[in-house]
Amino acid sequence: MENKGFLFYLRIYRKILAQDIKSKMSYRADFIISTIGMVLTNVAGFISFWILFQNFSSINGWGYYEMLFLYGFSLVSITPVQCLFDNNWNLRILVREGDFIKYCFRPINLFFYFQSEIFDIKGLGQLAFGIGTIAYAWYRLALPVTVLAIVKLVVFLLSASLVMIALQNAAAATCFWLQNSFFILDFAFKLKDYSKYPITIFDPVFRFIFTFLLPIAFIAYYPSIVILRPDAIPLLSYLSPFVGIILFYLSYKFWMYGALKYDGTGS
Amino acid sequence: MEEAVIQIKNITKEFKVLNHREGVKGGLMDLFSRDYRIVRAVDDISMNVEQGEIVGYLGPNGAGKSTTIKMMAGVLEPTSGEILVNGVIPYKNRAGNSQHIGVVFGQRSQLWWALPLIESFKLLRDIYQIPKAEYEEMLSFYASIADMENLLHKPVRQMSLGQRTLSDILAAFLHNPKIVFLDEPTIGLDVSMKAKIRELILSLNEKKHTTVILTTHDMGDVDALCRRIVIIDHGKMLYDNDMDHLKGFFGSYRTLKIRVSGDVNGHLAEIQRQFPDMRTETEEGWITILVDEEKTGVMKVLNTIQESVKVRDVQIEEISTEDVIRKIYEGDMG
Repeated sequence: MENKGFLFYLRIYRKILAQDIKSKMSYRADFIISTIGMVLTNVAGFISFWILFQNFSSINGWGYYEMLFLYGFSLVSITPVQCLFDNNWNLRILVREGDFIKYCFRPINLFFYFQSEIFDIKGLGQLAFGIGTIAYAWYRLALPVTVLAIVKLVVFLLSASLVMIALQNAAAATCFWLQNSFFILDFAFKLKDYSKYPITIFDPVFRFIFTFLLPIAFIAYYPSIVILRPDAIPLLSYLSPFVGIILFYLSYKFWMYGALKYDGTGS
Repeated sequence: MEEAVIQIKNITKEFKVLNHREGVKGGLMDLFSRDYRIVRAVDDISMNVEQGEIVGYLGPNGAGKSTTIKMMAGVLEPTSGEILVNGVIPYKNRAGNSQHIGVVFGQRSQLWWALPLIESFKLLRDIYQIPKAEYEEMLSFYASIADMENLLHKPVRQMSLGQRTLSDILAAFLHNPKIVFLDEPTIGLDVSMKAKIRELILSLNEKKHTTVILTTHDMGDVDALCRRIVIIDHGKMLYDNDMDHLKGFFGSYRTLKIRVSGDVNGHLAEIQRQFPDMRTETEEGWITILVDEEKTGVMKVLNTIQESVKVRDVQIEEISTEDVIRKIYEGDMG
């Protein structure tokens, strides 16, 4: 990020965020309706999860509250991508119409400038819902509440969210080369639905795919096992923070590579 | 003498374009095709621009104007040639270059859509790290040249096209850049808004000694703002000199306008028969004839016409900038 430091970007981000939230609040009906929509989506998701467990007492050795924990974990870890990187959904349109050029004339990091433009406040409801679910499952599983456990939870949640962000960045950046890249982005986003199940329920082929090729097992399964089953933590769980950071870095480089070769056709 | 703020030496920009085939089958073949052709958008252009100049950068659509500007702004890398803006190579340091330039690209607003203008200004102040005193001074200067009260607290998305263009131009000058690129700033605006925008650009240029590179199709912009024009077509530079020099070159030309009644097209055909070398056109009952006085006097043309056509009104004007440029496009400069 050139010669401008982290604090510089943090200050700018805070200001854009404050302004953005203020202006969104001023469209009150829009704000209320979309918040209600988000709540209903989460409630519906939870109900289908609950119905599933009315029929099965456990899935492949995973009990109801463990699954609930996993569910809550995946909700929280996809919140950052939803709140902070939502502008990725507009990228392909901006590129196709030639409007992306307007991001190219500022003396700050292009990726930062582009992503900072939109903050999707609706994701915050999902965050609250996810945290509530984790806390409830934690309580019912009678997991110990220690500082170390909380720190672990936060670190692994953050690294898990980096994986989701990386997937979406990379998928969105394909629009710098492809005319119609929507299906790739849509596909990447739908993958998250598989992240809330233990990887062990899939057959070996998909287990391999979801671990190494489309690493969604790092969105909830591997990181949450650290807290759920501290006696049998696989190596991949310990690696998940590094996986998150490395994937994010690679996706950032890929995104920037596309953005810098963008020539602004259409203007 | 000070170094020129923009130094361009023999730059060329080529694009690789895929030759598309027709139909579904052709589309599939395109996926694997290596059948490219090279399009030369900018072809061996050189120029220097000094601090404080307003340069009209003109040419028909697709002439390579935007491509040149994108190279100066650091978005595109030239295929060959050298380019220095404020002493740096733009594409090698895009962010650093951006600190000292401002860009307004036609109707694509660069402001935060949902925010009132004043909040956009505050964000720009932070992004460009404008010192507080300079920022305050600029705002009070803006208040003296534009109706800021109506603009500052309005979200950009609620603005009219004219207000938005005005805001975008003000935003481009806010960090006191050395150069501002304006791409079609008056496109789609009504006459009074155009006049306002031109006034604004002139006063900003005078006050801050900012270099302005202006691309436009509006000859009103050129006449009001530019002392120098550069014309390109098919990527090649056709002309680079003072406006006055250009007009001097075509000084022997006069535009003769006559108003006729009845069958305008019939009269026009008659005039074209009598003076086959002269360019003519009609508009709302007026016939315009471009006369080169070195060859034939205007009065002589008028007398000849009057013998066969009943003339109701006459105007004699100097050649307009638009005509001059059209003659250059047509290759009359040799």
